[in-house]
Amino acid sequence: MNAQTQITEVTPSGETREMSYAEAIRDAMAIALDRDPTVVLMGEDIGTYGGAFQVTLDLIDRYGPDRVMDTPISELGGAGVAVGAALTGLKPIFEFQFSDFAALAMEQIVNQAAKLRYMLGGEAAVPVVFRMPAGSGTGAAAQHSQSFEAWFGHVPGLKVVQPSTPEDAKGLLLAALADPDPVIVFEHKLLYKMKGQVPTGYYTTPIGKAAIRRTGSDVTIVASAIMVHRALEAAAKLAEEGIEVEVIDLRSVRPIDRDTIIASVKKTGKLLCVYEGVRTLGVGAEISALIAESEAFDYLDAPIQRLGGAEAPIPYNPDLERAAVPQKADIETVARRLAKGEV
Amino acid sequence: MPTEVIMPKVDMDMATGTLAVWHVAEGEAVKKGAALFDIETDKAAMEVEAPASGILRQILAQPGQVVAVGSPVAYLYAEGEAVVALPAETPSAAPAVVAVAAPAAAPAAPAATPSQTVAQVANGAADLRATPVARRLAREAGLALSNLLGSGPRGRIQRADVETALARREAAALAASAPVFAPAVQAAPDEWTAQPGDLHVTTRKGTGTPLVLIHGFAADSTGWMALERALPRDLPLIRIDLPSHGRSPLRRLSGFADLAKTVVQVFDRVAEGPVHLLGHSLGGAVALAVSDIRPRQVKTLSLLSPAGLGPEIDGAALNGIARASTADSLAPWLKRLTARPDGISHDYAKAAMLARIDPDLRAAQQEWAQVLFPDGVQAFDLTAALERVTAPTLMIWGRDDRILPWKQALAAPGEVALHLLRGVGHVPHMEDPDTVAALLGRHMK
Amino acid sequence: MIVQDNIPFAIRHFAPAQLREALRKMHLIRLFEEGAEESYMRGLIHGTMHLSIGQEASAVATCMELTDADKITSTHRGHGHCIAKGADVGRMFAEFFGKETGYCHGRGGSMHIADVKTGNLGANGIVGGGLPIAVGAALTAKRLGRDDVTVCFFGDGANNEGAFHEALNMAAIWKLPVIFVCENNKYGMSTPATYATAVPNIADRAAAYSMPGVTVDGNDFSAVAEALHIAIARARAGEGPSLVENLTYRWRGHSKSDRNRYRTKDEIEDWMSRDPIARFRAELIAHGVLDAAGAEAVEAEAKQAVADGVEFAKASPAPGIADVTKFVHAEEAA
Repeated sequence: MNAQTQITEVTPSGETREMSYAEAIRDAMAIALDRDPTVVLMGEDIGTYGGAFQVTLDLIDRYGPDRVMDTPISELGGAGVAVGAALTGLKPIFEFQFSDFAALAMEQIVNQAAKLRYMLGGEAAVPVVFRMPAGSGTGAAAQHSQSFEAWFGHVPGLKVVQPSTPEDAKGLLLAALADPDPVIVFEHKLLYKMKGQVPTGYYTTPIGKAAIRRTGSDVTIVASAIMVHRALEAAAKLAEEGIEVEVIDLRSVRPIDRDTIIASVKKTGKLLCVYEGVRTLGVGAEISALIAESEAFDYLDAPIQRLGGAEAPIPYNPDLERAAVPQKADIETVARRLAKGEV
Repeated sequence: MPTEVIMPKVDMDMATGTLAVWHVAEGEAVKKGAALFDIETDKAAMEVEAPASGILRQILAQPGQVVAVGSPVAYLYAEGEAVVALPAETPSAAPAVVAVAAPAAAPAAPAATPSQTVAQVANGAADLRATPVARRLAREAGLALSNLLGSGPRGRIQRADVETALARREAAALAASAPVFAPAVQAAPDEWTAQPGDLHVTTRKGTGTPLVLIHGFAADSTGWMALERALPRDLPLIRIDLPSHGRSPLRRLSGFADLAKTVVQVFDRVAEGPVHLLGHSLGGAVALAVSDIRPRQVKTLSLLSPAGLGPEIDGAALNGIARASTADSLAPWLKRLTARPDGISHDYAKAAMLARIDPDLRAAQQEWAQVLFPDGVQAFDLTAALERVTAPTLMIWGRDDRILPWKQALAAPGEVALHLLRGVGHVPHMEDPDTVAALLGRHMK
Repeated sequence: MIVQDNIPFAIRHFAPAQLREALRKMHLIRLFEEGAEESYMRGLIHGTMHLSIGQEASAVATCMELTDADKITSTHRGHGHCIAKGADVGRMFAEFFGKETGYCHGRGGSMHIADVKTGNLGANGIVGGGLPIAVGAALTAKRLGRDDVTVCFFGDGANNEGAFHEALNMAAIWKLPVIFVCENNKYGMSTPATYATAVPNIADRAAAYSMPGVTVDGNDFSAVAEALHIAIARARAGEGPSLVENLTYRWRGHSKSDRNRYRTKDEIEDWMSRDPIARFRAELIAHGVLDAAGAEAVEAEAKQAVADGVEFAKASPAPGIADVTKFVHAEEAA
């Protein structure tokens, strides 16, 4: 179904450059637009405005409005156009202004994009990428701060990734684009300004593979997105007390990297899942269950713990907003109690 | 009549035992006194001797099964004696199997005794808490968890608890390989080396004000097990192992004040607000000293047969216990601890000896006995401290205490509540844990 | 004698072979659906089905000028669209029977019937689901510089979905080669379009998107074909989308569980008297495209194809149970 396309190779140069998370995503999109003429960007105000978070800034000047398309404020229709375009030979990257607005487009993402290949018995493909700025911490309150990873992770046919570093933000976006199936990329809004060394040129970060950001033998923390950084800060503090925490950056919610998590829990015997989405029925529930069902069960030396978002919408008041999602101190406290056998 | 072979009680607070292995196969002959089967407690794997000569028949408990104390596990028949059908309808005929440790072992309780089985389960292994890794390690090592003390919240057995038990069992195996009649496992050296590190503290999580426990001379925190079972399950506990005792490092001691100072330091670290404080014997003296030094941190004070309230003490027993290097030399002294000496079996003494298998520990405790109780006299006097204590104070003493005479309790001022237990010796928390727990419960309210 | 001026558009515009083929497809749709209905009653098909019997002219006339490169998006009432676009009824029956040889390898069934190779992007179980997708397909054609067009079938019910507004608006602002074909069969399940829709004709809504809108007799093959001819030409010329409303009627209920409580017997019989197949067939005979015997032969051909199709489907293997997750993702990426 997909049109034959000329793909210009941009080889990795072996060099790195310091970029912000947002710049790394923009770099990935520019590389994609350069190397593959079927790639188009779609979304609300992604043109001259540069996107709600300035991620697509200047791309319209470089690639023109035919390839960097402002869509009307039509999330359902826009997502559907991206699905139809992907079904027939384009490779759209569709930006939702806020991941919350994807609720307007659930029909096209969940009923169409995720299922078309299957419903059509493998005769069709929907290589679309949905970019979703997500997460709290910006004072934007209940309808602009949510973390929907688990929602989409529940849908067979979708892949869901959550980069936590500029390097992965670029590598996972390029991997999402190279994937023959729909991929949802959750970008944490508080990470957009985070700087890091990013390889120049084209490369992909494998989807479905977690990254061990810190090794340790006492407690395993599986965290995603901004929680990775909070977990690393907590781990550094605990190391001063002699508690060695292993921090796994989940990176991919679906497919989930069972092997890495199981191996770590077998080593430490203690597991703490940290995620920003609502705790109940969240990503941590899946991780807990997969450990409980796996051979790692017989290595557990404490009940599995979860730190997730409060059972409430994200509130406006800054103190309430902080209280609604796991913070470094929460992670530190629970990890310490786990390590000391107090849980 | 065939001779009943039962699961013996070898530990004072033992309610069940795990049958580890049979040394004699069904149908084989065995001589009285020969090793018949092994059982496991938290202290060790222990041999049980044949109570009579005969042919072993009707084995009722398979390896891995947890059996209630006193239940038959097999029968010994005389040569040519007709085998009597097991009275299946009589509950006592079948062993009260409490739990099956190994999944592959025989099915649980016989159908004929369901009510008894249920009752045993309720009191025994069903409410045992252990982490998966603790269960796995125990399973792999053939160790029963039911008698382990868990250091985790609500008494949950964790990996470290199993590892400690396994280390002890290993030490026991080494000791057992030495001839029984050898003069000593290993003579206590004159020279021993003090060790660095903090005192060993274990906690049990719960709700409300915690109870801090300080054990007596030559004991350790595992001695609280019977009392802990009698106390409310949600009562948080903080157990301190005195230096040179249990899992705490070995320390030299200049005198009682030195010991009190060391414990106060630990107390300051573990007691986050006012706590209930309980001490036994030497630990009672320490608890009294702590209450004197930190009056605002002690909500209530409870003393079981406390030291420090008079000069008399059975110094011979203390020295004997500290010095004993075999179960045979330990047992006679242990018998002095309780009102009913027959409660101390040889097997119990063997188990107690295992906790004292480290010759350096014994050497350190002998030195302590010289410092604290020179010439069989209590070299420290806390009666003035008892006068000063402001926290409500409870004192429990056994009328048959042969180590510290109960009359020393009369040194207490009028505000102190005194309970003198009949038929109880020096270890009321082991001899009558239910009464002690009930008194404590009222006192701490 | 027939006056030249009164010759319908279709007769003038299409070659006799094309018209004969159109009649064959209309018979094929009717016979296929009757066959499916019978198979359903025999328990060979589970789930439910939405039959389009009575709407054959709309499906076939709409697709007359489409090639395999042109795309359609279809609806839950999509059997006719699928056959009109060129699908094989054997593989369709196989799909309905849940067989591995079906178009969707037994994963889709009636409601997701598709034939991607002939440009059918699939029937859709979501009312209005295909509207934005059709716009996306048209976007691809425009972006890649191809001249293929996309026809988006939808029903009168879908015209009240938000997706309708968003899709038509985007198609218009980007001047995309897409033709929105509304098959107005008067009822969205049981709710009359006249009750549920604020405008008398759905085509009136085209004005809101600055695109041409036309309402035609959907049971008149030639009228539909003519409206599509104009809309397709406009799309291929890069002038943008159109909205065509085909007024038609489904003889059967909404689905197999419909008890027809919301319409009268008279109404149904009235519409059955306006059978689009009989009408087209008479027209072809009247204009000498074929004679009665020729028409019989066309119908017999269709009958044979349906009989063969059922046999093929019956004889086909079922998918392996172990393959339940096959086709969720691309094989290489699974």
